[in-house]
Amino acid sequence: MALRMCTKSLRRKLFPVFNSASLLHSHSTSFGFKEVREEEKSQMVGNVFSSVASNYDLMNDVMSAGLHRLWKDRLVSKLNPFPGMRHLDVAGGTGDVAFRILETINSVDHRALQDVLEDNLHEDTQIYVCDINPNMLNVGKKRAQERGLENHQSLVWVEGDAEALSFEDDSMDGYTIAFGIRNVTHIEKVLAEAHRVLKSGGRFLCLELSHVEVPVFKQLYDYYSFSVIPAIGELVAGDRESYQYLVESIRRFPSQDKFASMIADAGFQKVEYENLVGGVVAVHSGWKF
Amino acid sequence: MYRSAAKRLLLLQSRVCNGHPQISGVRTLTIPNSPRFSSTSASSSQTFSDQSPNFPHQSHAQNPNFSDSASSASSSQSSGFESEDAPHHESRTSKGSPPRAQYQEEQARVLSASLRHVPNLGWTEAAMIAGAREAGVSPSIIGSFPRKEAALVEFFMDECLQLLMDRIDSEKDLRNLIPSERISKLVRIRLEMQAPFISKWPQALSIQAQPQNITTSFKQRAMLVDEIWHAAGDEASDVDWYAKRAALGAIYSTTEVYMLTDKSPDFHDTWTFLDGRVRDAFDLKKTFQEDFHVTPQRVVEFLQAKYLAEAVGAGMGSSLQGFMRRVFQG
Repeated sequence: MALRMCTKSLRRKLFPVFNSASLLHSHSTSFGFKEVREEEKSQMVGNVFSSVASNYDLMNDVMSAGLHRLWKDRLVSKLNPFPGMRHLDVAGGTGDVAFRILETINSVDHRALQDVLEDNLHEDTQIYVCDINPNMLNVGKKRAQERGLENHQSLVWVEGDAEALSFEDDSMDGYTIAFGIRNVTHIEKVLAEAHRVLKSGGRFLCLELSHVEVPVFKQLYDYYSFSVIPAIGELVAGDRESYQYLVESIRRFPSQDKFASMIADAGFQKVEYENLVGGVVAVHSGWKF
Repeated sequence: MYRSAAKRLLLLQSRVCNGHPQISGVRTLTIPNSPRFSSTSASSSQTFSDQSPNFPHQSHAQNPNFSDSASSASSSQSSGFESEDAPHHESRTSKGSPPRAQYQEEQARVLSASLRHVPNLGWTEAAMIAGAREAGVSPSIIGSFPRKEAALVEFFMDECLQLLMDRIDSEKDLRNLIPSERISKLVRIRLEMQAPFISKWPQALSIQAQPQNITTSFKQRAMLVDEIWHAAGDEASDVDWYAKRAALGAIYSTTEVYMLTDKSPDFHDTWTFLDGRVRDAFDLKKTFQEDFHVTPQRVVEFLQAKYLAEAVGAGMGSSLQGFMRRVFQG
């Protein structure tokens, strides 16, 4: 009981804006806990990612204690990639998810699968990495170079907006967005675009930092997010503001259930989600039919 | 009636079994009470997973504000496995079942297309990918089967059971056979359905025997055996019920394994083997009934008769006479 009250008071402290004026200005949107005009958000998010791009991987490792690698592995294992797949990874500028998908398809098991299928499907495999931020894409391209994949015909780097994709209708087998949907201005538009580009039977997967509801762990997590992460950000990347935005944007993101119902509203079926680490991260999944 | 009760019991058990091993975090969002299904979902708690199609407009209209839809969604969470599997069986076991969700139709379409590739590619993901391509659906759909190849095998088992039930309904001359012949005929009909897949059937058996699949495969076999007994005209519900099903299950499985290595034309040896085993079982049953089951009664009757005769012949009769005499004299 005391715990719950403590949670409540904490929530009140953490969400001062959320409780008050947010509903009055329909054309404003959230940038962390700040209210900004819709037009400004993408610009501001762009600035954040431009400034963190160079230290992005290092910071991910430091902040999540390396766990983000396991989360991305989980995402790809859920995706169940197959040879000949046309996949779109949105907001995946650093190529983390794309490389994993490519590795899975090239792995021994799947080579055997491909031999059995007899077609020359490997040529058809296409993984599009789409990111709105050219700085992030450059990081990804550089890493592809380090892995010797810079001329790999399966990897395509595309600069584009998740709310207005440049791909045709019904053209993709899979759509993933990892740690990206939180930063867009209109989540509904992104979901609608995802639904549009997917083929019938195509899979939508979203990996996103989400909400922890486990009592004691929640308090620990909140302390870690609001006190430790900005400090690490300042220390490691020399950019406190960006990481302050990061933790705030996580709190402003819809809860697991609400986001799941948003996905369902976009037309996806068999919508489900899986919490990882008690809800620090959630993988949402849906199919288009 | 009895059969359906038994099935319900099996389904219920499987539900309980399946509920637990799931990771607690995995949840399926279901939008309850979509108007299209509300008439069919009156009482049974099993039908909620049939309501899961997320028709955007309906759910929107139903749940205009978020807090409502969230609470109802979380109250009707189910494990991913259950929502995938339960309606599948439901649609087969009950007549006039509610329509399946669109994704379930697509899944069924992909699986039945995949079956055509099984003789070449085996019970594998490759066959399922080929099946999905053939059905014109993105192979990503395979991710919606939590246990991949097992889903294919289980789908095949369900299809075969359905076919068997259709055969039972359509073939009139089955009723003219005596029970033992009827049973071996039915087992034969069922096993013949596996003949095209015989080279890949060991693989299917190994998939069915994997720990994560064994509950479903056991349930499917139980339903099959039950169906055969029912078709053989067995309506009894005594203690024999279990013995009968266990015996037929054993016969079915051994014949199935025998069939794997049978190279005779049209599996002639298998059917001879099957007839032999069924006859054995019926002989054994007869032996059991004669030696153990009925005898206690007979022993009692026999002993009673014997005691009476002895009593009359030797002691008690004379003492009774003496007793009567004393009464009349006195």
